[in-house]
Amino acid sequence: MIAIVLFKAALAVYLVSAAVYVASLLGRRVLLARFATGLMLAALIIHTFSFAAWWLTAEVGPVIRFREALSLFAWVMAIAYLALQLKTKTRVLGAFISPVICLFMMVASVGLGGTVVAPAMLRGTLVTFHVILSVAGEALFAVASCAGLMYLFQDGLLRKKKTGGFSRLLPSLGDLDRINHLCLLWGFPLLTLGGLAGSIWARIVWGSHWQWDPKQIWTLLAWGFYAFLLHQRLVIGWRGRTAARWSLAAFVILLVLLMVGMPFFRTFHDFL
Amino acid sequence: MRLVLIGMNHKTAPLEIRERLQLSCGDDARSLTELMRLPEILEALCLATCNRVEVLARVADGEQAVEGLREFIYRQGNLEREELGRCLYVYRDREAVRHLFRVASSLDSMVMGEPQILGQLKEAYRQAVDNRATTVLLNRLLHHAFRVAKRVRTETGIAGNAVSVSYAAVELAKKIFGDIEGRSAMIIGAGEMAELAVKHLVSSGVREVFVVNRTFEKAVALAQEFGGSAVKYEDLFDQLVLSDIVISSTGAPHFIIKGEDIRKVMVRRRHRPMFFIDIAVPRDIEPSVNDIDNAYLYNVDDLQTVVDGNIKERRKEADKAEKIVEEEVGTFEKWIASLQVVPTIVQLRQSVDSMRAAELEKSLGRLSHLADKDREQVALLTQSIVNKILHSPLTVLKESSQTPEAGVYLEVTRKLFNLADPPAGKGGNDGRDAD
Repeated sequence: MIAIVLFKAALAVYLVSAAVYVASLLGRRVLLARFATGLMLAALIIHTFSFAAWWLTAEVGPVIRFREALSLFAWVMAIAYLALQLKTKTRVLGAFISPVICLFMMVASVGLGGTVVAPAMLRGTLVTFHVILSVAGEALFAVASCAGLMYLFQDGLLRKKKTGGFSRLLPSLGDLDRINHLCLLWGFPLLTLGGLAGSIWARIVWGSHWQWDPKQIWTLLAWGFYAFLLHQRLVIGWRGRTAARWSLAAFVILLVLLMVGMPFFRTFHDFL
Repeated sequence: MRLVLIGMNHKTAPLEIRERLQLSCGDDARSLTELMRLPEILEALCLATCNRVEVLARVADGEQAVEGLREFIYRQGNLEREELGRCLYVYRDREAVRHLFRVASSLDSMVMGEPQILGQLKEAYRQAVDNRATTVLLNRLLHHAFRVAKRVRTETGIAGNAVSVSYAAVELAKKIFGDIEGRSAMIIGAGEMAELAVKHLVSSGVREVFVVNRTFEKAVALAQEFGGSAVKYEDLFDQLVLSDIVISSTGAPHFIIKGEDIRKVMVRRRHRPMFFIDIAVPRDIEPSVNDIDNAYLYNVDDLQTVVDGNIKERRKEADKAEKIVEEEVGTFEKWIASLQVVPTIVQLRQSVDSMRAAELEKSLGRLSHLADKDREQVALLTQSIVNKILHSPLTVLKESSQTPEAGVYLEVTRKLFNLADPPAGKGGNDGRDAD
């Protein structure tokens, strides 16, 4: 119960924070953005407590279902953003990231407090690892693509010599590229480990690492995209526009899988 | 309040006149002493910069003092009265306060929002303080002006964006690289604007400067100036691999850097971003460079467009700044007004208190049979009666100080309580006698 109350409180504060961020962007006030950052930190703390409460009060042992995963996703994004905030001067990024966080939190809040009926095969440390690692990795990719999107905006404006107004608000290209890079660098190993944990679990449950499941194939495709991008970044020195476009494209693949693909494919992996 | 501000700025006086005045006013200590010797001047401050010469003073008598100040300026400028007279402006009281606030916030500057003027004003104030030329009012006024300047700076974007081409280049570099600390810059050719841009870059943290010139000796000479290193023209493209910011300003009649060249350079430098600033006319760098990933090209017209946009922005912000100034002038006036009633309040208190003390002494003489404790009680009684009676008139006086009728209340109070005239130099009009 307490977990749900805390979750709702966190969602409310995230929403306010997002509103203030957007207001700061439209009104071009740095002070508001600073206030919004404080709000987001508060929301993150409440959110963390809600996780703790959920973990401690779970009756049948904590089971990560769809909405916990979404909530976790939002949580990792908030942490990543606030951590980056310390390293770079990119407050405006919040105006792009906080709405995404809110979206995930809102979807997660649907069916809040329903009874937990989890299939037996979803219980176990490996599954928990699989979900936590994958979700954390994907959340970092989400931050990377937000930064990538902003990069493309800013790049276009600077190339067209439109340096007033909006361009002034957006962070510098250097900072945006660094965020994109850092998030890929951290997100990729997380997603990889998450995938490994999942496939080991699959072997235990279904007797095989690989099921030719649409979801598995799709995820592997996105993973391949990211692997390629990271490789190009590290070896050839890809950055800027190209890197931003690729990270956006790879994330779109992930999103398509999550939002569109799931209802249409019959999949073993239909619980998440 | 009797404040007078007399002077000239870049709008009212041509450079030849300003510079003659500045020469003599620049020597502040001497001119300040001379100023303070003028009979009607109570406090004074002398501000002389290349764009303005101004004297701010609190005076005992308006007209006579203004004449004295005029004479002082004529003497300093050593110029025809008529010629000089046309350039002078005189502001009084409220207008003087507003003008000072506008000057401090850089609203009156040639380049609106430039930060130097505040430093110059602070220096002028320091001079005045060192020479004991200021007391209560100017001290308060100047500190208020500094506060206004700070408020304008933080609450508006008036000083926000570059309004010179060379500084706009630095701002753009920051937009591209995030942090230009430790980056390297290259200057190809020479020229005032290019060299200025390099200087700005170096002071913003650029670590290395490469200088390229067709004539190597020229490169060496310029490199010495920046503490950079000279590069042979043949090595231009090799050196570009190591340069993040490239400023080109040669007299070449054709493009010296082509898109194809930069594509190759980009691969060699692993696509680290590059910022090209082409100040040359005709241009040195092929426009297609701007289409290459991680390469950004601005020519002199682009930079000018950026600057024009910024100036427009500053104008918009200036309106906000003017509102702040107006508000602060009001605040200062309130303080001045409250200052007006202070002497009367003090006098009233003193007068009533001395009456009480005298009467008390008389009565106590006749009440010698009372115990010490009772005598104390009687003293306390008189005190509290006086306080009760004075409470209402004092409150009304204080409140009236913020209204236009303050003078009437003061006058009536003085009549009713039979108070002597206030000490000179503090009372007087409410600061609205126009020029």
